[in-house]
Amino acid sequence: MKKVRGGYDIRLAGRPSRTIQQIVPPQRLLLPRRTRRFLFGQACVEEGARVKAGDVLARDGKNFDLPLVAPMGGTVSWTAQADHAVLGELEPPACEEQATPVHAPSGGETAAKRRQLVDLGAWAFVEDAYSGKLPDPQGTPAAVIVSTLRLEPYQARGDVQMMESLLGFIRGLEHLQSLLEYQPIYLLFPNVRSEFAQQVRQQLRGHAWIKLVEVPLLYPHDNMLLCARRLGFRRDQIVWTLGPDAVLAVDAALTHGRSVSSRVISLGGPGVKVPVHLRVTFGHPLEELTAGRLEESECRVINGGALNGYDATAAGQLGVDIECQGLTIVPENVERELLGWTRPGLDRRSYSNSYLSALRGSFDERMTTAMRGERRPCISCSFCEEVCPTGVMPHLIHKLLYADRLEDVERSRVDLCMDCGLCAFVCPSKIELREDMHEARRRIETELHAAEEH
Amino acid sequence: MSIRGFFEKHSHHFHGQGRLAPLKPLYEAVENFMLSPLSRTKSAPHVRDPLDVKRYMSMVIIGLLPAALAGWYFFGLRVLAMIAVSYAIGGAIEVAFAVVRKEEINEGFLVTGLLFPMILPPTLPLWMVALGVAFGVLVGKELFGGTGRNLFNPALIGRCFLAIAYPTAMASYLDPVKAWPGRLFQWAGSALSDATTNPTPLSQAKRVIAGGGELTPISDLLWGSVSGSVGETSAILLIVGGVFLLLTRVGNYRTTVSMLGAFAILESILHLADPGRFVGPLWHLLAGGMLLGAFFMATDPVTGPVTGGGKWVYGALIGVSAALIRNLTGYVEGVMFAILLGNIFAPVIDEVFIRRRLAALARQDVIAPERGQPPGQQGNVWFEGKANEEAAQQ
Repeated sequence: MKKVRGGYDIRLAGRPSRTIQQIVPPQRLLLPRRTRRFLFGQACVEEGARVKAGDVLARDGKNFDLPLVAPMGGTVSWTAQADHAVLGELEPPACEEQATPVHAPSGGETAAKRRQLVDLGAWAFVEDAYSGKLPDPQGTPAAVIVSTLRLEPYQARGDVQMMESLLGFIRGLEHLQSLLEYQPIYLLFPNVRSEFAQQVRQQLRGHAWIKLVEVPLLYPHDNMLLCARRLGFRRDQIVWTLGPDAVLAVDAALTHGRSVSSRVISLGGPGVKVPVHLRVTFGHPLEELTAGRLEESECRVINGGALNGYDATAAGQLGVDIECQGLTIVPENVERELLGWTRPGLDRRSYSNSYLSALRGSFDERMTTAMRGERRPCISCSFCEEVCPTGVMPHLIHKLLYADRLEDVERSRVDLCMDCGLCAFVCPSKIELREDMHEARRRIETELHAAEEH
Repeated sequence: MSIRGFFEKHSHHFHGQGRLAPLKPLYEAVENFMLSPLSRTKSAPHVRDPLDVKRYMSMVIIGLLPAALAGWYFFGLRVLAMIAVSYAIGGAIEVAFAVVRKEEINEGFLVTGLLFPMILPPTLPLWMVALGVAFGVLVGKELFGGTGRNLFNPALIGRCFLAIAYPTAMASYLDPVKAWPGRLFQWAGSALSDATTNPTPLSQAKRVIAGGGELTPISDLLWGSVSGSVGETSAILLIVGGVFLLLTRVGNYRTTVSMLGAFAILESILHLADPGRFVGPLWHLLAGGMLLGAFFMATDPVTGPVTGGGKWVYGALIGVSAALIRNLTGYVEGVMFAILLGNIFAPVIDEVFIRRRLAALARQDVIAPERGQPPGQQGNVWFEGKANEEAAQQ
């Protein structure tokens, strides 16, 4: 067993419980046209047109014409909200049996199946491990990695999504396999003897083509890029990566010929009164979703986890987008503590042990968006290096970048960084290391490599 | 009026066109000292660890406190005056530089200000304390660009300067008072007036080797009732504070362990080779500034190497040099020079280890699966074995 490098669990308060809450269907849907990876720029229906559930609203021309599918029937408006497709006058969802076209391709035809995945929007859930982009649906991957865990606080838990339909999950895996020739499918698994793990193992008996890979329950070792690298894949190889919901989407597309209209997301973080999982329709207005569920104070709604997500409000997102894994709600910092740095700190958890909480057992901390200190020069404490799961030295890259030594930055392998954000989290000097790494990669791309081409 | 109200009321003097705008760094330092800043994260990660540099530095101060209190107990109220002078002068220079540079005031001087008197003889005139700390902070730190950019430990630079400029005063030590209440309420005179030159355990050891007197007993070294620098005498309290520092992770155990380990090994070898000339390793570990240096000086992250492997080498280098200087040269104590020597070598050591790391990283992506076979069948699968075996058994 290889030794695990780095990693750290930040233990944020507001861990979503395993229950999946049903919620009131919304009055209208606000489908963001801009998501982390996609831009659904080409509108396919007219303003004011009436659409059925499953109709294509728009396509992303840069991503293999990936469709934005109407999750419910309704009237389309492009102009009501900028960057959103608004669906009003919603039809109540039809029963599952009656749902839209069923023409599941029978056997054999890999290319047709793959096209169907794109046409029904299920392909949107697949990601290439190294580039993080949408892989070519007709390309040949070196392998497929399916993860059952999401360790960042907080995204929808893989086991919750999966247990909802274990049968569909297994079927989805079979469909995936039928798309491949000999390439292996790796199933990432927590290395614990939980009931869940046992159950899945039972189900997978006899599926020899699925390789189980145990992953430590330590953030960010569930990261697909990290796993692909550990499994021995190179940068120039394509590795499809899928979460449980992606596998279920594949199942829906290839078994029932249906597109997915909703998803289980998490609603967690210290700003939530009762952290849970929710089944939400894509486009569910964020405001309706969070109304009554948040604490009184001013809160930041983060699309994704606290370490890696983005501020949904600042990004202008009004509804749940198709890539959303979960919403993390963190209260904004409004407090100025008197002599805060001298507090004993039984309630604050630190990577260092310099708070009394070190004497306490594990607990979840109620954090805010506070920087919790002032910006200072690097004091070379090397915490960032210790937590880094990839083995790069963020402090070194920070200093080299500061000195404008881009070639050396590149030699320091900033490209290995997979944006887990732990370096910036632990830094006592409050240096924006995650941003530095971004900037370093961007500048290497634009300045160094652009210069080479000329 | 609440404290927050006070700052809100007077804030405008220090910002923009305010009358006291040049003093903004000082104002901000005081404000943020009293009240935690209101700043919020602007980008991911949206939450941050509670540790900041203030807390980080205050851990060192807490670790040093037991030894500082012991210094007060054994050597009297002058110790407090020395600390006060050191803080006042060191702080003033830090503030002056921050104002000129228009940068924020760094908390590093909080540690230097306390560490510096700890390594001075308790009889040193206060003006020498002031001069030493000024030299240390100016030349040892500010010249290099302030905290985080300095090559040398400022406190050691200050001491080195004084040791060369005023050798007599820097070699005048005071005998501690053992019986309760020690010198808690006494003011022991300065070196120049009293001229008390008591041998420290280490200088006594040189005399013993030359053929006279008795070695200081280990129990005295443990408790600290021996003459020596203010904060270096009580081994037990230094170990308590030092272990605290290591447990908080503010001090890195690698440096301390390798420094003490290498020192002890070399001392053992010397002792075994010629017990008449060289005193045993345990005695040497507890005597003089070894523990203070190993726990509080060498662990300074800024002046030591960053890399983990580098820290092992760095500690060992200091430990070996200290043992060599103590035993084979005319100097009685070698920790200060050893650590300064280590400071010089730290960037070089780092360079070696960083290169090694970069070479390892350069190979990272190229762990190619063996040709012709689909990946995943070559046994370099991470954590795969156990799960698959179990699945097969079921």
